[in-house]
Amino acid sequence: MIPLAANVILPAPDALPLPAPAFLMRLLLLLTFYLHLLAMNAMLGGVIITFWARLRRRETGDAWDTLADAVAGTTPALVAATVTLGVAPLLFLQTLMGQFFFTSSILMGWGWFSVVVVLIFAYYGTYLQSFKRDRLGSARTPLLLGTAVLFLWIAFMFSNNTSLMAAVTTWPGKYFSDARGLHLNLDDPTLVPRYLHAILGAVAVAGLMLALWGRRRLTGGDSSGTFMVRTGLAAFTWTTLVNLLVGSWYLMALPRDAMLQFMGGSPVGTVLLTVGLVLGILMVVLGQRARNLPPGTGLMPVTVLTAVVMAAMVLMRDMARGAVLADLYRPGDFAVKTQVLNLVLFAGLLVGGIAIVVWMVRKLQKAWN
Amino acid sequence: MNYPVWELGMGAGVLIAVVSILHVFVSHFAVGGGLWLVVTEMRARRTGDDRLRNFVKSHSRFFMLLTLVFGAITGVGIWATIGLISPHGTSALIHGYVWGWAIEWVFFFVEIAAALVYYYGWERLDARTHEAVGWIYFAAAYMSLVIINGIITFMLTPGGWLENREFWTGFFNPTYWPSLLIRTFGALAIAGLFTLLTSTRVEGGGFRWRLTRWNAAWALVAMAGVVLSAMWYGSAVGVWRENEALLGAIPVLPKVAGLFRIGLIATTAWLLVPLAVPKLNRGPLATGLLVLALLTMGAGEWLRESGRKPFTIHGYLYSTGMLVEQEDWYAENGMAAGTKWLSEETREDPLRMGRELYLAWCQPCHTENGYNGLRPFLALWNEETVASLVPRLEHMRALMPPWYGTEEENSALTAYLMSRKPREKTGPGAPVLTPERAFAVSCGLCHTPRGYRSLAESMAGMTPAEIDEFLDEAGDLMDEMPAYHGPTEQRTLLIDYLHELGNPPTEADAAERSAS
Repeated sequence: MIPLAANVILPAPDALPLPAPAFLMRLLLLLTFYLHLLAMNAMLGGVIITFWARLRRRETGDAWDTLADAVAGTTPALVAATVTLGVAPLLFLQTLMGQFFFTSSILMGWGWFSVVVVLIFAYYGTYLQSFKRDRLGSARTPLLLGTAVLFLWIAFMFSNNTSLMAAVTTWPGKYFSDARGLHLNLDDPTLVPRYLHAILGAVAVAGLMLALWGRRRLTGGDSSGTFMVRTGLAAFTWTTLVNLLVGSWYLMALPRDAMLQFMGGSPVGTVLLTVGLVLGILMVVLGQRARNLPPGTGLMPVTVLTAVVMAAMVLMRDMARGAVLADLYRPGDFAVKTQVLNLVLFAGLLVGGIAIVVWMVRKLQKAWN
Repeated sequence: MNYPVWELGMGAGVLIAVVSILHVFVSHFAVGGGLWLVVTEMRARRTGDDRLRNFVKSHSRFFMLLTLVFGAITGVGIWATIGLISPHGTSALIHGYVWGWAIEWVFFFVEIAAALVYYYGWERLDARTHEAVGWIYFAAAYMSLVIINGIITFMLTPGGWLENREFWTGFFNPTYWPSLLIRTFGALAIAGLFTLLTSTRVEGGGFRWRLTRWNAAWALVAMAGVVLSAMWYGSAVGVWRENEALLGAIPVLPKVAGLFRIGLIATTAWLLVPLAVPKLNRGPLATGLLVLALLTMGAGEWLRESGRKPFTIHGYLYSTGMLVEQEDWYAENGMAAGTKWLSEETREDPLRMGRELYLAWCQPCHTENGYNGLRPFLALWNEETVASLVPRLEHMRALMPPWYGTEEENSALTAYLMSRKPREKTGPGAPVLTPERAFAVSCGLCHTPRGYRSLAESMAGMTPAEIDEFLDEAGDLMDEMPAYHGPTEQRTLLIDYLHELGNPPTEADAAERSAS
């Protein structure tokens, strides 16, 4: 029996055993979440950068205008990638932590349900920007703002749900005062920094991807790449700088025990925080350096650093949740009945599926250029 | 009852129905439409028909925008919705079938990528590669269906899984193959119906009539497949016969089954119009056909969903979240002991206890005024009636899940339900009480006039006085049947109804009545 604090009501884990050891499910959760995060950052950050570019443009065909068109053209496919890559971590999360996740989702029922409806509109909004941009005329920028706000709403709901699922002590008070699914997690001090950290991170990563895209263009002899590199790096450096502060705020807002995990309490946690912080500062420094170098150079170290820092952040996030829940969550205690054949089948199909997708995308890329 | 409940005035089932019926329709289009695209593209290339090729290309844009956005997101939407409304069921499906979902996710991933490459590959990829991508798309989309079909049919007919809990036993369950066949043909038919709609945008003339005929023939052949496989499916779903669902054990089911049959016939017949006279296939006609197909499919899915009653996973998990294997525990400990989300106040306040028990155990299926609404019944029930029904809920003909309330819990639930009784309306506009209604709120809760637990035979030859006496003694006949507690006015109408049921008027009676 899990020792429970007096004011906690916690659903029991599912009666059926886990179909693979918990560590494997957790590994898959973290891995697919990382991939989802990459796509989400490129997409959401891209929408925000497009909006910024639309605000800065003065006339059709100027550098900002061209940039906005280019980025807007990639958004629909990035939404598809974000959603597709988001399904897998959500699946593994529900397998591992369903008793937390279903409860928080129910408490914020309408907010969580709104994600579906809002996403449909936002998704069509991105196609509108891509397919009908000429016909939209002056409505284009306001519509883009609307699309961005819808995506930001979705992100906000995710931040609410993923933080509420760990805020177990607040559940009974919320539920017994009102069961209509109208709660959010607004009284949680981690909510705002957590959300801002994610959004700023998205703009930074999208900026970096824009710079890399610009470099590709430059290599192909397309001079419009210069502006992409410059704009992308500016977005990357500035938002990362601010995000260092927001990240520290987020850390301070964590419950004391969880925060101390990263400050000597746990060796792994301490290493992760140090890596995140040191490399984060280095990202700003190297980003700034690349801005002063000839366009397209100095991007590789920044990219590698960013990939590593993102991985550290994903692990820290997982650790923080583990620390907050502590004794309330012991996946090691779950019954396990590994479905070996299905696991192998999944792994084999995944490899085959990735190979097919790579083949198709390569064919298209070749034909496109 | 492990989880809190989302108190949803409109009815939990209604929200799931809206999201899932729209999704199911579009997602079947995503499968069948994939085959239509690649087959028609190849046909256009073989015959050198550029206009057909251009139509396929423009249709593929519509296809992508509908299936990739609306189809895919509503699919995720069903998942989110059932998680909110039936967390126990969702959790069980995920635990039992994680690898099924994960494998389906791989196909989904390939499907989405292939759809994008197919669309953006027009005029860029060479014909053979483009067609290969089209086939990859269709194969991945179809495999998605193949996997999900296993999990959905498992919920209705888990078969041997109940004993061995093996993934593949539950997957290839008794309704797997007929369901796969009906969904395959359904997907193809829907693809034909959507292309009938998009072909109305083509300029009139020989090409359009040819195109319309091709699409109508495609859909018609598929509909014939749907009808045949529906017959196989109907005979394979043993549970409906076992629980007499189609005889009225589940009140709505016979009607829905009728609507489904009519829908299938009407859709098939309607398709003859564009086939025979392609000129008649205009926007409204094609849209009407799609709406008809959507409603028919909705009836089919409704039939399957409600046929599962009172379970979420047949024989394993009740729709209230109670596991079948937990029944003995509940019988011993009562319902409140197994309800995690009860507030402190319930200890002191029976009405609050009643409300929270209602939320946990009744609200998953019932509303107050809407779908499966209770207040129209409460309006005609008195406290004795409610108190006599609460301990016998699982014997009602709606195939309700079991309820093991202690005396205290039963009276708390009764008190709460009575507090929701609508105030009696009098004067003009007040509802008229009919014999049928008097029957529906009493005997009709467990019996049908003719069909499931038929009463016609029992009432045959009984006089009104005998029926009156029978109502007094009903409670002594068996534990499952409560005594009759209705007020005099309802009782009189009920006796009329039952008397006429057991002694239907002869032709001579009818003639005499019309003469007088």
